Amino acid sequence: MMSTGTVPAADPTADTGVLLSANGLRKTYGTTPALDGADFAIRPGEIVAVMGPSGSGKSTLLHCLAGIVPPDEGQVRYAGRELSALSDAERSALRRSDFGFVFQFGQLVPELTCLENAALPLRLAGTRRKEAEAQAARWLERLEVDDVRHHRPGQVSGGQGQRVAVARALAGMPRVVFADEPTGALDSHNGERVMQLLTEAARETQAAVVLVTHESRVAAYSDREIVVRDGRARDMSAMAGAV
Amino acid sequence: MTAQRSGGARLRTAARDLAMGGRFALSGRQGWVRTLLTAVGVGLGVAMLLLAASVPHIAQVRQERTHARDLNPSGDYGQGEKPGDRTLLAADAKTTYHGKEIYGYALQPEGKHPLVPPGIDALPAPGRMYVSPALKKLLRSDEGGELARRLDSRIVGTIGDEGLEGPQELAFYMGAEKLSPPGTGTARVTRIGDTEEGGPIPPVVVLLGVVACVVLLMPVAVFIGAAARFGGDRRDRRLAALRLVGADAAMARRVAAGESLVGAVLGLFFGAAVFALGRHLLGGVSLFGLSVFPSAVVPGLALGALIVLGVPVTAVAVSVFALRGVAIEPLGVVREAEPGRRRLWWRLLPPLAGALLLLPLSGEVENTPQGDVHEVQVVGGVLLLLSGVGLLLPWVVERLVARLNGGGVSGQLAVRRLQLNSGAATRAVSGITIAVAGAIALQMLFQGVAKETTVSTGDRADAQRIGVRYVPVGQSLTGSERLTAALRKTDGVRRATGYLESYQQLVGKDKYVAVGVGSCDTLREIAAVGSCRDGQSFRVEAPRGKGEVPPPPAGTKVRPDTEDDSQDSKPGHVWKVPASARTVTALPDIWGEDSFEGLLLTPGAMPKGVTDDAVYVGRVQLAAGNADALEHVRTTVFREDPAASVITFTGSERNGYFVMMQRVILAAAVGVMVLIGASLVISMLEQLRERKRQLAVLVAFGTRRTTLGASVLWQSAVPVVLGLVLASGFGMLLGWALLRLIDQPVADWLVFLPMAGVGAGLIAVVTLLSLPVLWRLMRPDGLRSE
Repeated sequence: MMSTGTVPAADPTADTGVLLSANGLRKTYGTTPALDGADFAIRPGEIVAVMGPSGSGKSTLLHCLAGIVPPDEGQVRYAGRELSALSDAERSALRRSDFGFVFQFGQLVPELTCLENAALPLRLAGTRRKEAEAQAARWLERLEVDDVRHHRPGQVSGGQGQRVAVARALAGMPRVVFADEPTGALDSHNGERVMQLLTEAARETQAAVVLVTHESRVAAYSDREIVVRDGRARDMSAMAGAV
Repeated sequence: MTAQRSGGARLRTAARDLAMGGRFALSGRQGWVRTLLTAVGVGLGVAMLLLAASVPHIAQVRQERTHARDLNPSGDYGQGEKPGDRTLLAADAKTTYHGKEIYGYALQPEGKHPLVPPGIDALPAPGRMYVSPALKKLLRSDEGGELARRLDSRIVGTIGDEGLEGPQELAFYMGAEKLSPPGTGTARVTRIGDTEEGGPIPPVVVLLGVVACVVLLMPVAVFIGAAARFGGDRRDRRLAALRLVGADAAMARRVAAGESLVGAVLGLFFGAAVFALGRHLLGGVSLFGLSVFPSAVVPGLALGALIVLGVPVTAVAVSVFALRGVAIEPLGVVREAEPGRRRLWWRLLPPLAGALLLLPLSGEVENTPQGDVHEVQVVGGVLLLLSGVGLLLPWVVERLVARLNGGGVSGQLAVRRLQLNSGAATRAVSGITIAVAGAIALQMLFQGVAKETTVSTGDRADAQRIGVRYVPVGQSLTGSERLTAALRKTDGVRRATGYLESYQQLVGKDKYVAVGVGSCDTLREIAAVGSCRDGQSFRVEAPRGKGEVPPPPAGTKVRPDTEDDSQDSKPGHVWKVPASARTVTALPDIWGEDSFEGLLLTPGAMPKGVTDDAVYVGRVQLAAGNADALEHVRTTVFREDPAASVITFTGSERNGYFVMMQRVILAAAVGVMVLIGASLVISMLEQLRERKRQLAVLVAFGTRRTTLGASVLWQSAVPVVLGLVLASGFGMLLGWALLRLIDQPVADWLVFLPMAGVGAGLIAVVTLLSLPVLWRLMRPDGLRSE
């Protein structure tokens, strides 16, 4: 586990076994409310799907949980610490060391090769280039895209690019992977394969995954589903248990 | 029939595509932003071009104004003219104040209805003066305190625009009553205004002007080209979407042309508006002592039409040309393969052709009015040679970055981006590199021309030494002694001497002797006269071994020098060197340099007519550490005689055309630099805007802002450094080729250093200016639009 940066290593089980939690999150963009009292919790190694229609606030919830944008109200706690109490630099360090990201279109850096893209989080965290690229190469192999390691993102297919993005998210051995519509731009076959590889690798490394999606077949890879509607999150598993 | 129909249909399709492009340019926020960026960029370039196109008219109006107020149009000070009802005496009273030149005349009517210079209604009475608005402002400011002491006449009116060269010109006409008769410094005015054409402009100055035009306008053209490509990446993506719905490649190009056309036309209007506003603001600006009336800033009809037509055509051509390397496919431009490698051979052809055009002209442009400048060949050569910087820079950047590996994350991001596409970053700096190359060449040419247009005064430069020369009214000793006494009392003066000096011819010989006249106290400062009383005279020899012209022996017949007199003047009164003249040794002057050789006379020993053509020769040594001492001396001298000359020792004097040209070019260079800086800011902001999403993703990963900032800096720095190296090389090559035209060697090969420094400094400033935007774009909420 990489733990470089300014944030001291945290005890993942410090808050009754919950790794990452959110309470009463509210967030408004201009006059449009994106989150309206959302709650959330995830344990180490757990895969949670956040579902909901377009514009329901899924991505905003993910951004708040990852400390990318601060909520207007409410708390996000990671490993027992309040994210909003951290400075921007401390949250950046946390994202470098503890979090990984996969976005819908991969969002690979177009000028870097696939190998360099996968090694980027490690390098940002301070790992030496050679070592970072060696680790990244192993992940590319694992994600079955070893053959495009020296290609640029513009030279590979969408499915390959997304697998490189997953390798990049996992290369730093994060505690939490945030995946925002990771298969949204892929066909069903490629989407399935990416999800298989992502969830297998996450389980193996004991990384928790926050999976934002509007597709049920993608959500099926998760342990638990949370539905966001009108800015409010409901834990469907808890509801099912209640029923 | 079919062909006709298909031709007409093709035309209609083309028009429809252009119109569609126009609609894209004006639809949606992003369309507007791109169009406005292009319009602002093109507009700034158009404003600059319109200003450049106005230069001939500005120069013409300025020359007409200068000629219209010429009080010595014949150039002979009206010495042969008789006083009359309409004549007046005008003493050239121009003065300098803290480096600012002030035009002025002391005027004295000789009849009841004297001529009046343009801009004033009547001649000012003694003790009164008319001043220009700018001088009035200066005199009333704290800054003008010493000048107000110098020009202490009462202001009775303002000189109108028709009497001034520019609105910010410092000028005055003061009334006088005891001016010297016509001669050096004072003219008898029988007509005002020079109707004759001025002499031809020296060819080297024409060459300088031609080269300056090319060098200053070429970056503007490059800038307009770069502005036409603002937002190109986003536009390409939009075109890809069009391809997806059935547009072919040609249609996509026409749509792109339509988009550019709208930006360029809006840019024309914006440029015209900036120009219209700017020309009014110009009236309030004085740059390097030059100011122009807004009414004079009018572009020539032909040049104006060329700009109106040429700019949109250029913008469209550049936009379409830029598409040649972009594969816009229905599925977008993101899958575009790596661009093909740039080739060197054709990039070398234009600069080689430029060199071939210039080199045969070696020595052809001579500093004679008959010299031919070969303008077309020179312009072509300079254009082609300078284009080499812009053409070779992308190739050099590509080759160098291909070998780089990056180092840290910031370096790696920058290098990889440049490896993938260095075009945008290179385009952004190509304008400045061409400007720097041109400036280096101009500077080298300036140095060469300076040699041809600078005459050494034979003195060493010394800021502490001040010379004073004037013709006292009636050549009276009283005025001479009074001025010396006043100079000694002047604040900041350590020592001052002065005496009347004339040159007398040895009768029957082609030899001359200097004759100094002054009181015994004055003569003791010139030579070791020892005991002295009025009525004595002295033969002054230089210290042993230093003499060049020994004084004539006693009894030698001499008379005033009449060599330069007009034919009808009478020979001067002949007199003899007195037998009683004692031979003494000269002392070094107060500057410790020259010593007097000739005859020294006390007033009592002065023969008739000996001071008829005498001038006051004053020497002043300033005390160190008094910054205003020179201005105090000027005031003292001006108050004794406004026409007196105060001479500072700069070691050389330069051709007036050259000085004016250098000022104009400096002013224009400042304008071009500001424009290029603006272009760089816009271009950099546009590049950052294009990368907003990517920056946000990197920040989401936890990338430090400093890492990204450093990456952007590296990305600019690599093309900048390579560009400046290329610019220095090409600038020196062009400078050397231009110097060969006037047969001058390169005076200083290190001339590129300050210019390269200015270029680097400008880019540093622009980068600093773009940092706040970079910081703002690095907020992770840039992800939100996903």
